[in-house]
Amino acid sequence: MFARLLSGVVLGIEARLIEIQCDVSGGLPTFNVVGLPEKEVSESRERIRSAIKNTGFSFPAGRITANLAPADLKKEGVGFDLPIAIAILMATGQITETTERYLLLGELALNGEVRGVRGVLPIALETASEIDGLIVPRDNGLEAAIATDKPVYPVRTLLETQRFLNRETAIAPVPVDRNALRSMEQPSFRHELAEVRGQLQAKRALEVAAAGGHNLLMIGPPGSGKSLLARCMPDLLPTLSFHEALEVTRIYSTAGMLEPGASLVWRRPYRAPHHTISYAGMVGGGHGVPGPGEISLAHHGVLFLDELPEFDRRVLETLRQPLEDRSILISRAGISVRYPSAFTLVAAMNPCPCGFLGDPIQACTCSMHEIRRYRKRLSGPFLDRIDLCVEVPRVPADDLFGTHEAETSACVHNRVKRAREIQWDRMREDENCHSNAQLDGERLEAHCALEESAQQLLQRAVVRFGLSARAHVRIRRVARTIADLADSSAIQAEHIAEAIQLRTAAGAVAGF
Amino acid sequence: MLMHGGESEGKACRFLKERGYRILARNWRTRMGEVDIIAREEGILVFVEVKARSGNGFGGPEAAVDSTKQRRIISAALSFMEETHCELPMRFDVVAIRPGKVRLYQDAFQVAD
Repeated sequence: MFARLLSGVVLGIEARLIEIQCDVSGGLPTFNVVGLPEKEVSESRERIRSAIKNTGFSFPAGRITANLAPADLKKEGVGFDLPIAIAILMATGQITETTERYLLLGELALNGEVRGVRGVLPIALETASEIDGLIVPRDNGLEAAIATDKPVYPVRTLLETQRFLNRETAIAPVPVDRNALRSMEQPSFRHELAEVRGQLQAKRALEVAAAGGHNLLMIGPPGSGKSLLARCMPDLLPTLSFHEALEVTRIYSTAGMLEPGASLVWRRPYRAPHHTISYAGMVGGGHGVPGPGEISLAHHGVLFLDELPEFDRRVLETLRQPLEDRSILISRAGISVRYPSAFTLVAAMNPCPCGFLGDPIQACTCSMHEIRRYRKRLSGPFLDRIDLCVEVPRVPADDLFGTHEAETSACVHNRVKRAREIQWDRMREDENCHSNAQLDGERLEAHCALEESAQQLLQRAVVRFGLSARAHVRIRRVARTIADLADSSAIQAEHIAEAIQLRTAAGAVAGF
Repeated sequence: MLMHGGESEGKACRFLKERGYRILARNWRTRMGEVDIIAREEGILVFVEVKARSGNGFGGPEAAVDSTKQRRIISAALSFMEETHCELPMRFDVVAIRPGKVRLYQDAFQVAD
């Protein structure tokens, strides 16, 4: 007796359709799963056997073989439990209706309950044209429904699934109202910029970074508010578009980091890994199919690296390529997956190992040698990817205690949004470039024309401060964003002047 | 009172017949292993191991069917298959006999890979 149905597997954020074939025949009682199953797939046999028996179905005697085709593709994850169990019920006549064009996913508990699995969104998204409908765990219902136009049937137990397939009970497909989803994107601010005292220049740098997608490095003593400022950053960025939200959700679905019953991730991600993070944790990896790392979890959002020089040098160097390409290709024996990683980098560091170099109150206790060594941990090519570098000094006592009136996150958010709209408009014909931070070479010449006075100012600065060609490009890029924030189509002298100011701490890092 | 092997197997056979098993053979032995009862139930060939204990010591009779015992039963089943050219689906049951109580474990174990 033979039965077949469909399921799916995620490879990175891509998905593949898997055909599950099940054969029950005479012979010794064995139950084999073939087709390159990883450990967790092989283990599914015990869950399936218990779930079938405990639901009150009969588990067939004799030889059971389940094949996952294509057989040359490694299968991992626990999503095959439900489809294999259903295939066994079909092969033994306990389900009589045909289900060949339905895609099933779900983990089984020993009592027959269906548990949520990861990767449902990518699978739903990429298999829509080849199936008639999806049967998924209830926890994954919404996630699947946003991604496909095919009906999505949420199930809670094996029994419910069997009765549904036998047309003995009806299950309402998960309703999706994309307009209702859209209304959920109203921003509410998690961290309020106005709560950070003082630090006007750093706040301005944050705004410019958000507006142009520039990477930002903040240098200052401990307790000056660097982390607090960084946490405000995601809310300053424009709200995610539907397409962007789908991309982010896809990554979180693959990583198994969606809340049960979640639909789309609307918030810009904010990731702040500790400096002890491993190479695989940062860029992605792990056993079997490599999973997404922090840089991909921060896709369309902010990656905050506090104590930048404390990070493993090798880990920092691996960031260079994804910063450039906005995606990362992870290759392992037999498999390579690409994850998007278009994040904005916000980094923070102390000016020296003790943290108080240049502080007006507390004296620095580091030797010159220590300071030099500390700064040398950041390589030139890495710093090349950072456009803004500002000092975040100790907050004067007056600022801490006086009444203070500061701009709210909402104000800045609106200006950033406007500046981004100007950029999208300017570069709408360019598929690979969406923000000022990506301007280089020809694009820089095309979009960053300077006014006469601005040109002269920049030339003087280059001579006076001995700026490198690299620094010169950075200043033009940042000036473009400042001009966009001021809604000015040309880059004027004042924009250049401010761009030069937003690299106050440049002297503190060698090679900037 | 402890029962003899033959005695408890007879008891198990009566018990199985009441439940619709058709007994095909008893005490089937090869060089590699042996099985107490071979029966047929609804198109399934069933190999039954009978275990009797006078009490619950050592985990009761069920616990005595360990992996070594399972392997002997499986190899007996294999040679039975070869001899009879049987292609029916197969199952392994265990009948546990305690004083005054008989219990049947259907599909008690499977062939691991």
